[in-house]
Amino acid sequence: MAGKPTSWDLETDVVAVGSGLGAISAAIVARDLGRDVVVLEKAPKLGGVCGYGGGEVFVPNNHKMRELGIEDSDEAGRKYFEFLSAGFADPELMDTLLSNCKDAIEYMEQKAGVRWLAVEGLPDYYFPKVEGAHSGGRYLSVELFDGSTLGAMQDKTWPMTPHIPPGVLHREMYAWGGLARVTEWDYELIGKRISEDQRSFGPGMMAYFIKAAMIDREIPAYLETPVRELVTEDGSVIGVRAEREGRDFFVRARRGVVLAIGGYDHNKELALQYEAMLDWNSACPPYLDGDNIVMGGEIGAAIAAVPPTNLAMFYGYNIPGEEAEGKPLFRASWECGVPHAIRVNRKGERFCDEATYKDYQARLRSWDGQTQQMPNIPPTLIFDQNYRDRYPLGSYMPGQELPKELVETADTPRALAEKLGIDADGLERTLARFNPPAKNGEDPDFGRGSFAWSVRLVGDMSYKNPCVGPLDKPPYYGVRLVPVSVGINSHGLKTDVNGQVVHQRGHAIPGFYAVGNSAALRDLGGGYQSGSSNMRAITWGYIAGRQLAGKG
Amino acid sequence: MAEAEYTTTAKLPIETIWEFVKDVDHWADFVSGYQSHEKENDNDSIWTLKGDVGVLARVLTFRVHVTEWAGPERVSFELVGLNEPMRGDGEFVMKPYRERAGERATDSSRSTPQKSRLLRFLEAMIRVFLGRGGRARRADTADAEPGPGMTQLTFRLRIDPGGPMAPMVNALMKPVMLPAAEYLANKIVSHLEAAQGAKG
Ligand SMILES: Cc1cc2nc3c(=O)[nH]c(=O)nc-3n(C[C@H](O)[C@H](O)[C@H](O)COP(=O)(O)OP(=O)(O)OC[C@H]3O[C@@H](n4cnc5c(N)ncnc54)[C@H](O)[C@@H]3O)c2cc1C
Repeated sequence: MAGKPTSWDLETDVVAVGSGLGAISAAIVARDLGRDVVVLEKAPKLGGVCGYGGGEVFVPNNHKMRELGIEDSDEAGRKYFEFLSAGFADPELMDTLLSNCKDAIEYMEQKAGVRWLAVEGLPDYYFPKVEGAHSGGRYLSVELFDGSTLGAMQDKTWPMTPHIPPGVLHREMYAWGGLARVTEWDYELIGKRISEDQRSFGPGMMAYFIKAAMIDREIPAYLETPVRELVTEDGSVIGVRAEREGRDFFVRARRGVVLAIGGYDHNKELALQYEAMLDWNSACPPYLDGDNIVMGGEIGAAIAAVPPTNLAMFYGYNIPGEEAEGKPLFRASWECGVPHAIRVNRKGERFCDEATYKDYQARLRSWDGQTQQMPNIPPTLIFDQNYRDRYPLGSYMPGQELPKELVETADTPRALAEKLGIDADGLERTLARFNPPAKNGEDPDFGRGSFAWSVRLVGDMSYKNPCVGPLDKPPYYGVRLVPVSVGINSHGLKTDVNGQVVHQRGHAIPGFYAVGNSAALRDLGGGYQSGSSNMRAITWGYIAGRQLAGKG
Repeated sequence: MAEAEYTTTAKLPIETIWEFVKDVDHWADFVSGYQSHEKENDNDSIWTLKGDVGVLARVLTFRVHVTEWAGPERVSFELVGLNEPMRGDGEFVMKPYRERAGERATDSSRSTPQKSRLLRFLEAMIRVFLGRGGRARRADTADAEPGPGMTQLTFRLRIDPGGPMAPMVNALMKPVMLPAAEYLANKIVSHLEAAQGAKG
């Protein structure tokens, strides 16, 4: 923690730290309410994880679904979030989140020009199994964004994410057959959109926010300016010490600081310590170093947690030599949910519905108290030539040679298991059990294909059960999987209903707010639903922006 | 099929450039993103480079086969991707620079509509091959007047990507292709001019 400097390098009303959805939402709202705002960002690009990710925003009973005539209700949405929380949410925080999320996204449409689109036909994770879950319409994405309208910010933002083919809308993706049919997408159209810098998914959504903040409102953004310490006076946060061009850069915040710098995805030490995992990798841009915990902890902020068991952890791989932002690029693996693929543990046994990451994530963390082992870690992806004839592995299309450093191959399941170091008898038994019902599209053990969301996302609609097919055509392939986080961590700063950070002694720290992944997920509790991370970043940014402007 | 081309001038006799480019081992130092290469014989070599494709970088391996050593004017080669579906060919062309003729550099994105798609793609491929080096501008000779002892060096490359995603890959690599071609040609010339200066 830094004391007051003899002089400030910059003075403003509100300092927004980070440039993801949380920071930019707070910046837009505070600016609209008449406050001067400055954005400080560690990375060389603006946009944070959303600018690099999927960009779905989950808002029950949103105005876009109403425009399409899709029925929903606030009560149903609330029921669903209560189910997701598994009892670990703070009811007041959840209530504040759900009471404000619709206002926040409508505000961003009306005042900031974000052109939302309801994603039709994409069900909630748990539909149709849970009360309150919806068959489709709660996810929002955006219309294509024309990158050339970003002016000087065009090159200061990511035009696309390495995780999803660029320039595509959800409805097109589904019309073209979804992820399983990625080889059949319209790449002429995609190529044209890339040439025109037509952005979609997270980069498209983030571009609307960046344009609203940096171009339309002329909010200054300082890139490559990491904040290192909070400056305090008499227990209040009054500014920050950042680093710029190798020197201290003190910025005074007359009304306060909002920390929206994500969590600790790229701080392996913190991640292993907090997430109860033995290994850790991230799909996020490599700037999330746990500075929220360090800087907040330093001034006495309380660190709070929700159970890590079923948030948003994936398993995946790094294609040898593939990098993004100068670091190995880790991709989440969707392959296990496609027909002719399974996921097994060291014993060669299946242990989950591989198409549904809410199921596999939780079971991966299961603990055998008798052997003191996590028996399902590390998992291995197994597929056969049926799979290889039809589907890609990452960016390796059917027919393309697979990298030997990543993929083991053998003519029999036994030989493959031996190469992979998993139990060969176990793998043979597993296939003998899985294949006969799989030929009829059935999975009596784990009900794969019974979650509508999984079918929509990874299913091959030409199959009786879009997620199930036998592994019976040699050769057989195996890929060792590693954890791949998407930045949604179990620990963060404890915040209150105003988005204000709470001190270990229980009082709110004057002038100090935290939103997005910098704030503990006590509003959601022990579960996750795609789009709820972006939704809470926008909503708490909106709330904190109002508070900081004195209009809470 | 796509193509891109970059021409620069050197205060060097044609033979000096020929002596240099006639050995593929010499190319390695000036290909940014270069990881390794293995010469099987004078005509055949396997190259591994790290190049940008949109927002990510990938390691690409391909076989280069020199089809013609036409010294001192030209080296022509073909290439085949070993870990990515692609084919192509290219050449270094050296010409005494006695009089000014047309544009110094061909920017593919500014050529005829029919050609531009091809050229745009190739721009991208060069960048993949040549990595993320950025521009290497040579203030001293880039706009040099023609004269005795001057040579024009042209680097040309054509690529045909395969696979269903080819049009996407094409567009992804477009923005970085021409700068990378410039980088290669200019680096070779700067290196040789510096060596000449040191000798002279
Ligand atoms: C591949 C992928 C797909 C995803 N898809 C979805 C989806 O569809 N829906 C969804 O809801 N969520 C999704 N997510 C997660 C979601 O994008 C993020 O959780 C959310 O956008 C986080 O927003 P945030 O405001 O917390 O800040 P972040 O986006 O985490 O941004 C933090 C910013 O702070 C900067 N920073 C860090 N430290 C400092 C410092 N000391 N000083 C200054 N700046 C600093 C970082 O560089 C970064 O720009 C996805 C994530 C990934 C990786």
